[in-house]
Amino acid sequence: MTQLVLGQVLNGAIIGAMYGIIALGITLTFGITGIVNFALGEFMMIGAYATYALAERFGWPYPVAVVPACLIAAAAGYLANKAFFRFTRNNLVNGLLVSIGLISILESAALLFWTATPLEMHFVLPGALRLGEVGLPKMKLVVFAVILAVIVLTYLGLARTWLGRAAFAYAQNPEAAMLMGVHTPRLETAVMLYSTGLAGLGGALYASLYSLEPAMGGVYVLKGMEAAILGGIGSLMGSLWGGVILGVIEGVGSIFLPTAFRDAYGLAILVAILLFRPAGLFGTE
Amino acid sequence: MLLEVRGLTKRFMGLTAVSDVSFTVEPGEIMGIIGPNGSGKTTLLSMMAGLLAPTAGAVRWQGEEIQHLRPDVIAARGIVKTFQNPQVFAELTVFDNAMVATHLALKRSRGARRLGELVGLGRAAERTLAGQVAEALALCNLGGATRQLAGNLSYGEEKMLGLAMALMCRPRLLLLDEPASGLGREEIDNLVAVLTKVHAAGATLCIVDHKVGFLRGIARRVIALDHGEKIAEGPPEAVLENPAVIEAYLGRAHAPA
Amino acid sequence: MILRLVLWSALYALPIFVRSDFLLTILIFTFIYGMLGVTLDLIFGFTGQLSMFHPAVFGVSAYMTYLLASKAGLPFWLATIPSALTAVVLAMIVGSICFKFRLKTFYFAVVTLAFAEVIRLVVLNWNSVTNGTLGLVVTGRPTVWLPGMGVVAIKGPVAWYYLTLVSLTLTVIVCARCLSSWMGRCFGAIRLNEDLARTLGIDVFRYKLASFAVGNALASFAGGLYGYYTAYIDPGYLSINQSMDVLAMVLLGGQGTLIGPIVGSLVLTSLPHVIDLRAEARAILYGAILIFTILVMPRGIVGTFNAWRARRAA
Ligand SMILES: Nc1ncnc2c1ncn2[C@@H]1O[C@H](COP(=O)(O)OP(=O)(O)O)[C@@H](O)[C@H]1O
Ligand SMILES: [Mg+2]
Repeated sequence: MTQLVLGQVLNGAIIGAMYGIIALGITLTFGITGIVNFALGEFMMIGAYATYALAERFGWPYPVAVVPACLIAAAAGYLANKAFFRFTRNNLVNGLLVSIGLISILESAALLFWTATPLEMHFVLPGALRLGEVGLPKMKLVVFAVILAVIVLTYLGLARTWLGRAAFAYAQNPEAAMLMGVHTPRLETAVMLYSTGLAGLGGALYASLYSLEPAMGGVYVLKGMEAAILGGIGSLMGSLWGGVILGVIEGVGSIFLPTAFRDAYGLAILVAILLFRPAGLFGTE
Repeated sequence: MLLEVRGLTKRFMGLTAVSDVSFTVEPGEIMGIIGPNGSGKTTLLSMMAGLLAPTAGAVRWQGEEIQHLRPDVIAARGIVKTFQNPQVFAELTVFDNAMVATHLALKRSRGARRLGELVGLGRAAERTLAGQVAEALALCNLGGATRQLAGNLSYGEEKMLGLAMALMCRPRLLLLDEPASGLGREEIDNLVAVLTKVHAAGATLCIVDHKVGFLRGIARRVIALDHGEKIAEGPPEAVLENPAVIEAYLGRAHAPA
Repeated sequence: MILRLVLWSALYALPIFVRSDFLLTILIFTFIYGMLGVTLDLIFGFTGQLSMFHPAVFGVSAYMTYLLASKAGLPFWLATIPSALTAVVLAMIVGSICFKFRLKTFYFAVVTLAFAEVIRLVVLNWNSVTNGTLGLVVTGRPTVWLPGMGVVAIKGPVAWYYLTLVSLTLTVIVCARCLSSWMGRCFGAIRLNEDLARTLGIDVFRYKLASFAVGNALASFAGGLYGYYTAYIDPGYLSINQSMDVLAMVLLGGQGTLIGPIVGSLVLTSLPHVIDLRAEARAILYGAILIFTILVMPRGIVGTFNAWRARRAA
């Protein structure tokens, strides 16, 4: 039982951190540029398939494949911004609609190219770490550590750099930040590259653990948004924690409750939390 | 006593915009609120209209505490506020803007019978309202612009449209946030005429202005704010001679008009 | 006004002159999707709330109408009533939660989408009733009660054409009545400036809920019809792609107009019939149309046409 619960907690934390990465990307992009990139999950999908292609088809070692995969996702994000997203600045609904269009295009393109059959990579790092009677797969621990490192670096970056302070300024007072005009083309490009690259990294890590499907992006963006609302709209660290909480609840919930409904548990918790804290867990009134 | 403000305070993250302000509004009077820019007038009015939740204190409307009520509920009770920076539905015509504002009047006069409109009943009530809207717009000097989009109006016209919309809500207490700012001489004369008429028809007025001249003409009693605190209260002349008020204005190089 | 009357009359007269089953089939689908489009537009284009909940009521009503007719023995036209009531209840629950927390724009879209997903999961997994992924084969024909003729069964393209056209007409009339009343003014005020609407005494929560409930109730009829027309119901009815298709129709045709979604529905339902595409290519095309419309022609076909006419008149 401990094995099962602990395993699910780790699983949930990893999946949840992926939700968190998406949530962070959406919040950050919106906060700094006023653009809604709801298609962020697709860049995760791109990162995942790129990793798969490089590692399995071209035979690159996994760690080497991860870097170009992130770059490919970021490049796709750059193009999407130049072609579409920059025209939707400060119009949330248009941003969402363009994203929906993009989701449809990218997902279908992936279907045409890779078919709906789930793809699985070979074990990158087999074996498990034994702690007493509990075994934790090594690769999951590695992935978790990488995500944790990225999150800490992001946090430090946000706290130390101008970009980050602009984002925090936004999170604290959107109106004032908007009035002060916290956006420049270069900042916008930087944020787009970072958020889509980060999503790509999430996808690359995901690929080493779970099977890939073209529809994965849509699922993750939905969860990412739930995480963002759960953590408190506009709160950057809240988005990350919201994601982890959501992931763990889903993971642990599916031990005790029917797995078929795992997508519903997060929503139930979300609604319950909103009932008691309308601004989300980490949001301020 | 129509409305009582008791110890009202609003803090925005460290900045105290309104600090422990108390006063009353008597039925049928015209009272004024003056104070230099940033003294908390708009914030005070917004709390009275339910647009902002106070940090502390109470607003009593005919004895009942209302500071926790939603703005639409407060509007339905008869307290209606206009905006310093005019707020209109830019994509609707001037006429349609004012028609939206007939919501409360229609609700009061027909209640659930409004549902009859869905099957084509109640055209008469709509026509009456349209007539009243045309009247209110003419009164506010917008008679010639009824078919224009509100977004195309000048600043002064938008402001008068805001007033016309507030009037369509049939306020018992009308809160006006700097109604004269941005208006030309003639427009101000018209504004005074409109306000006098509304007052004569029974409405109580509470007018915010930082130009004291405008208020001197119509208000019987004013209170003065500075840095969010009430510093004086009384007839306009007396308040204007109050040293604290002179200091508040002169201290920031604002000569009293 | 006259143009609109002529168009509707032409639609009613069409089967007298045109006997092409191919054309009628396209139009029947156009009408059913048109019902979804018009009701989504009531919520989105007129009230400003981007709902992704439509597939849920569409699917649930398809199942419910059929199950009530086949298992409980209700006639089709009666079975649509409890389905619509269920849609209202669902809309009230989801709408109350969203509007209470003032979820707007894409937050509202996401949460309604999440609720629709949960309902899809329930439908998918409730095997004993819905037969899971395999779906249900609909047997029997819809019956309607007609004055003077009693209860008749709908069969053949012409009968279907009129059934769906009348349903669409009724949907448009109900929406138009709501919009031309004080309710429509409240919807518009909420879409344009929620805070101003509030200060004018409009109970924003209540009118958002009203719009959401009416839109979903009317959309439920489309579900009942679609199940019977295609004779097959599966959980795909509730998929996110449905949301996306209907949204594309509304935007392409012109949001904030009642005719626009029908025009959009006509274009997008005839497209796959005119050019043969596999599902993935079609989804790519839909996505491209969506993006193109938003960035290049945000008012859609009808909105652009109206603007052009207004400019010519001025
Ligand atoms: N939403 C807000 N957030 C933070 N500070 C605010 C906000 N609204 C007003 N303030 C501050 O409160 C003070 C009073 O503002 P206001 O009531 O608008 O003054 P007035 O209307 O007298 O010019 C000002 O210092 C202003 O900057
Ligand atoms: Mg002010």
